Amino acid sequence: MSKASNIETCAADWLLRTEEAGWSETDQAQLNSWLSESDAHKAAYWRLEAGWRSADRLAALRSDHDTAIPQSRQRLSWAWPIAASVIVIFGIGSFSWWNSVPALQQVEKMHVATNIGKRKLVQLEDGSKIDLNTNSSIRTATSEEKRVVWLDSGEAYFDIAKRSGQKFIVYAGTKTITVLGTKFSVRRDGEKVSVVVEEGRVRVDDTTVSGSARSAVIEGGDVAVSRGLSTLITTASPEKIDDALAWREGMLNFDQRSLAEVAQEFNRYNQKKLVIGDADAAAIQIGGSFKASNVDAFVRLLRDAYRLNVDDSGASVTISS
Amino acid sequence: MVDEDRLKEWFCREVLPLERSLTHFIRRNWRMRDDLIDIRQDVYRQAISAAQRELPNQTRAYLFAIARNNLINRAKRAKIVSFDLVADLEHLGLAPDLYETERGLEARDELRQAMAGIEALPPRCREVIRLRKVEGYSTRDVAEQLGVSTDTVEKQTTLGMRALVDFMLGGSGKIQRPLFARKFRKEITP
Repeated sequence: MSKASNIETCAADWLLRTEEAGWSETDQAQLNSWLSESDAHKAAYWRLEAGWRSADRLAALRSDHDTAIPQSRQRLSWAWPIAASVIVIFGIGSFSWWNSVPALQQVEKMHVATNIGKRKLVQLEDGSKIDLNTNSSIRTATSEEKRVVWLDSGEAYFDIAKRSGQKFIVYAGTKTITVLGTKFSVRRDGEKVSVVVEEGRVRVDDTTVSGSARSAVIEGGDVAVSRGLSTLITTASPEKIDDALAWREGMLNFDQRSLAEVAQEFNRYNQKKLVIGDADAAAIQIGGSFKASNVDAFVRLLRDAYRLNVDDSGASVTISS
Repeated sequence: MVDEDRLKEWFCREVLPLERSLTHFIRRNWRMRDDLIDIRQDVYRQAISAAQRELPNQTRAYLFAIARNNLINRAKRAKIVSFDLVADLEHLGLAPDLYETERGLEARDELRQAMAGIEALPPRCREVIRLRKVEGYSTRDVAEQLGVSTDTVEKQTTLGMRALVDFMLGGSGKIQRPLFARKFRKEITP
């Protein structure tokens, strides 16, 4: 083989390994050192990685792949010894592979909820951690093949322990989020579901339309916001991702968001509600980092720094210009 | 120094979309087909090395200048030199390229392209890649599903991955088999 071809094969091997369960920091360090050996290694690896990622959209074909990629040819031409059993598995698989939640054998069932302003860290027995934000509720179940969480309301951050052969699935309203990687958060405001991926990859599927797949793979740095059937995927800067996940430190970070939005965020965490009195005040741009529970400090800041009028009735605070 | 993340981002965003044009350029000016992958990778390597000091403003001109010099040096090193070729290359300059317009794929084209790329694979390879990319299976899942060893799956996945990436970047998407059969690698200059 030519030298370049050899390097490309090595790069492909590495890339495959990064996707497998059990990819560790030691492995990553080895990969990094291989990459730093030569710019030819970098060239080959970056090229393969970019090209391979650009084919990720194939995951969108999952539920109705029979129509998308004709299988007749490969069935006929299978030369491998176990061909018969393969076909049997496919036959069953295409009907019930993904939507078989009801058949799940539930081994463990847990229900966890938080009140307004509270957070809870839930440790699952497989080592996965779920950080439950204010006013949220989840249920969990595990079986041999699956770990399942239903996000009934609110927001949760997931740090998933990799288990080969045991998928991790989050149901949020009409969306199904299948974990292909590790760290992400899901937020549900009624019908609207937002997924922020900090690290790794997850797949978001729509469960309302059976048969026709609406699926998106999103990865580290991506934010997906779904409302009904439409899903918007954007790539957010690392700062944006940090802002979206700041609640885990009890903080709310805003980068030039309107006071109306900011007030809404605060209201998720506090019994004492912020009410914005007029449109001028609502449009004021706010930036900064605030303690989620300290609505009084935020109100003082609005009064002193922004010279807004504050009317505190105890149960709510009305802010006007 | 350009840090590595920026370098990688530049390489993926600006250089890789030019792969089709670059391949075409190399093919047109260098007749030994077997050298294509070597030359292309060498050009990428040089592009990355030189961009570490500063990212170029005109990536296209930069990349093709590197490619041209690479071919000239190769021709000069070759045992039998065709002066015509060297002269041609030196006069080539950075002539406007017919493939100027192509850029990275739009997101919605990516899926179509990826589907076509999978279709272009030989059957066994296609199924392995399909299970991995479409169904999201791991190597072990694929091996279990197909009843073959993980070794076999890894080999097929590697071959399929390289072919699919080639296709995604505008190539033919042909499997690059090891070169055992190519005994007649001629020492003929282009």
